[in-house]
Amino acid sequence: MADARALLLWAVTVLLGASYSRNPLYSLLLLLMTLWVYDTAGAADVVSASTGSGRPSPLAPLRFALIAVPLGALFNALTSHFGATVLLRLPAWLPLLGGALTLEALAFGAINGLNLTVIFSGFAAFNQAVATRELLKLTPRAFHESGVVLSIALTFIPQTTHSLHRIREAQAVRGHRLRGLRDWLPIFTPLLVSALERALGLAEAMVARGYASVTDTAQPLRTQGLLALGLLVLLGGWLGYLFTPALRPVLLGVGALGVALMLTALWLAGRGNRHTVYRPRRWRAQDTWIVAGCLLALGTLLSRRAWMVYSPYPQLAWPNFDPLTALGLLGLLVPGLIPAREKTRDAGEMGDE
Amino acid sequence: MIELENLTYTYPSGEAPALRDVSLTIAEGQFVLLAGPSGGGKSTLLRCLNGLVPHFSGGTVQGRITVAGHNPIAAGPQTLSRVVGFVFQDPEAQFVLDHVEDEIAFALENAALPPTEMRLRVEEVLQLLDLVALRDRALATLSGGEKQRVAIATALALRPRILALDEPTSQLDPQSAEEVLQALVRLNQDLGLTIVLAEHRLERVLPYVDQLIYLEAQQPALSGPPRDVLAGIPLTPPLVTLGKVLGWSPLPLTIKEGRAFARGVTRAAPAAPPPLVGKNGQALLQIEGLNFAYNGKATLRNVNLQLRGGELVALMGRNGSGKTTLLKCIVGLLRAQQGAVRLAGRALAGRETAEICREIGYLPQTPDDLLFADSVTEELTITLRNHGLLAHPPLVPAALLGRLGLTDVAGRYPRDLSVGQRQRAALGAITITHPRVLLLDEPTRGLDYQAKEALAALLREWLAEGMAILLVTHDVELVAQVAGRVVLLSDGEIIADDAPALLTTSPLFAPQIARLFPGQGWLTVEDVLGEVRR
Repeated sequence: MADARALLLWAVTVLLGASYSRNPLYSLLLLLMTLWVYDTAGAADVVSASTGSGRPSPLAPLRFALIAVPLGALFNALTSHFGATVLLRLPAWLPLLGGALTLEALAFGAINGLNLTVIFSGFAAFNQAVATRELLKLTPRAFHESGVVLSIALTFIPQTTHSLHRIREAQAVRGHRLRGLRDWLPIFTPLLVSALERALGLAEAMVARGYASVTDTAQPLRTQGLLALGLLVLLGGWLGYLFTPALRPVLLGVGALGVALMLTALWLAGRGNRHTVYRPRRWRAQDTWIVAGCLLALGTLLSRRAWMVYSPYPQLAWPNFDPLTALGLLGLLVPGLIPAREKTRDAGEMGDE
Repeated sequence: MIELENLTYTYPSGEAPALRDVSLTIAEGQFVLLAGPSGGGKSTLLRCLNGLVPHFSGGTVQGRITVAGHNPIAAGPQTLSRVVGFVFQDPEAQFVLDHVEDEIAFALENAALPPTEMRLRVEEVLQLLDLVALRDRALATLSGGEKQRVAIATALALRPRILALDEPTSQLDPQSAEEVLQALVRLNQDLGLTIVLAEHRLERVLPYVDQLIYLEAQQPALSGPPRDVLAGIPLTPPLVTLGKVLGWSPLPLTIKEGRAFARGVTRAAPAAPPPLVGKNGQALLQIEGLNFAYNGKATLRNVNLQLRGGELVALMGRNGSGKTTLLKCIVGLLRAQQGAVRLAGRALAGRETAEICREIGYLPQTPDDLLFADSVTEELTITLRNHGLLAHPPLVPAALLGRLGLTDVAGRYPRDLSVGQRQRAALGAITITHPRVLLLDEPTRGLDYQAKEALAALLREWLAEGMAILLVTHDVELVAQVAGRVVLLSDGEIIADDAPALLTTSPLFAPQIARLFPGQGWLTVEDVLGEVRR
């Protein structure tokens, strides 16, 4: 498994790619690469003989595409009436929907759906490749508690989905049918109660395991004051920068001082958190390759942005394709080339965070 | 190691104390079993040991408690976490992270232990709990028993001197439960760890126990060697019950001990043929050639089964053998790829679950999923409304609640009731339509002996009225009491379909009495007492 920081850079690059690209060919390329990474990361999980669970279905992002692409196409075609190739006309008296339904509007909406699928698939792959614990380690020390909350929330999601399914079945066997909003009450009430019970149970278990026994979560007044002072200095610098152009160089310095004060406050707050790290992961060659691949893709995205632009309007035409741009984007494939969840245990070093 | 002196505790919303004047001593290295009916105070007592009570729950405490030299009430649970490891009923509810090794290390990281020390401790508990091969696995891919062993490992990583466990096997099948118990026995015998275990199924644990504590609401706690305490309590495992009735002394706790006495028991009359309950009735439920596959994996293979009115069929088999899948296929929650299900000759294919369940009651594994109304009575009326039967209910809700023993709590919020009462409220919610067939999925999970007895009595009444019942369970003692037929499912296939006597020859499923008297055909205490010459 690659380093979470390298994979975070990968996810951000995919997100940028999906936002930049209006060209369906590059969007498709991005989608295929994220699917490859998603599948490679998922291959690591051992399937339990008893539960039959473990490896996620590689079809999940494709299922998303099956909904997002047609829905995007339909929505755009119904609400945007531009384009030369008219497929049919809806009566003009229909508010918003009335007018020409064009092939170009359909294509534009489908491309939007495709880009949404790339984002979904990218985050699904990131989630698949990075263990919750690694995510926790990405959070700065001062925000350790928030990181724990986030990791708990992430483990709660599959549990809640499972509960929802179970409760829907349980209500169906007593004759319950979902017809309107009110019919969700028998589903949501037990779901909410069981989630609250689970949260209380987890809190109890964490206390029983000594959680927060060595950390003083209350920050001293000094730290809080420093944070407030930093914020005030930053705000003062920013306002001054806006309204007194003559003093801008000085006010930039004031703003930087504000940021420095806030960072010091956060560092002080982090010192109060005395947790240690079991196996900090060492940066490895494969992580450097991932970063290099991301930088290549980022560079391509920024320098060859013109190739990413495409519009089906006014008349649908075949999008341009530049092999060099595609080659640059292939840098995002690197995480998919690393063997699935090659465990980092032996390579890990131990030390205080 | 542990000393309680006149300990009385009342929950913030409690009218009466949950623990009243409890005094007892637990020596170091003991394996202690906490027994007693639901609501007797077992969980509360365990939580007093590490300070969760009163620090987490609130309430008022009187009396004195000392745990390894600490006062948990003054020190609090975070300090006590180094002394008392705590394991809860549901392993999944206590996990913070998603992989085995990370989860074990989590408590050590938060205790700010030096990394070298952490590594040592993680390795230690992985080996102790036989988890080395699973160290890199995602928790979601583990079986129930494996998850519970991980939960024990996380508690042990802080090297506590005492391990407190709150019904850790109640959610597990017999094999997984045995796995967990064997791990506890090893920890107690090899490391001298003091173990305090709350458990309903006494027969599983008694062979290993040094001290038994019996807690019943508003009664003084009984504590002492298991034989002494068992002699004075009402609900005991079948072997002990029989020993008490036949005056065996010393009271046997294991089948091996009981066999010496069993040799002296002789049959007064030749064995009567087993009653053919329901054999001549009309087939109410017919399952023909049912096949079901999930994600390409066959879960049910050519299942054929018939249930007649007045007949209770027990469906048994290991976890994952397809028992729950079969029940879901019957009520239409899952659609079988092949085969048919007929109710009184009419095919159910194409009918909605809600419609099928008007005539077939189905109690899922987690009864709490059914309950959401403000009162028990309302739970019943909601089902009637769902089916459009509110104006002319097939059964009167108050009368059904009376039969279920819930009249006194009819106006109460269902989720505030005991496990047994909640389960009966859920039963009421699905049987108010007066179904002809009842499907029960693990109805005795987490129930104490008393609640189990009440359930068995209710099932017998319904059978006498002609209901057909399909019971999925791991509870061989309940099967021995109420089943007319036993069906064994393995890997989605029916491998045996016979009278309950089938159980007497199975090393995996034989109840205590069948193992005590091999070849006699007896399954329950009543079977023995009805036929022996005393």
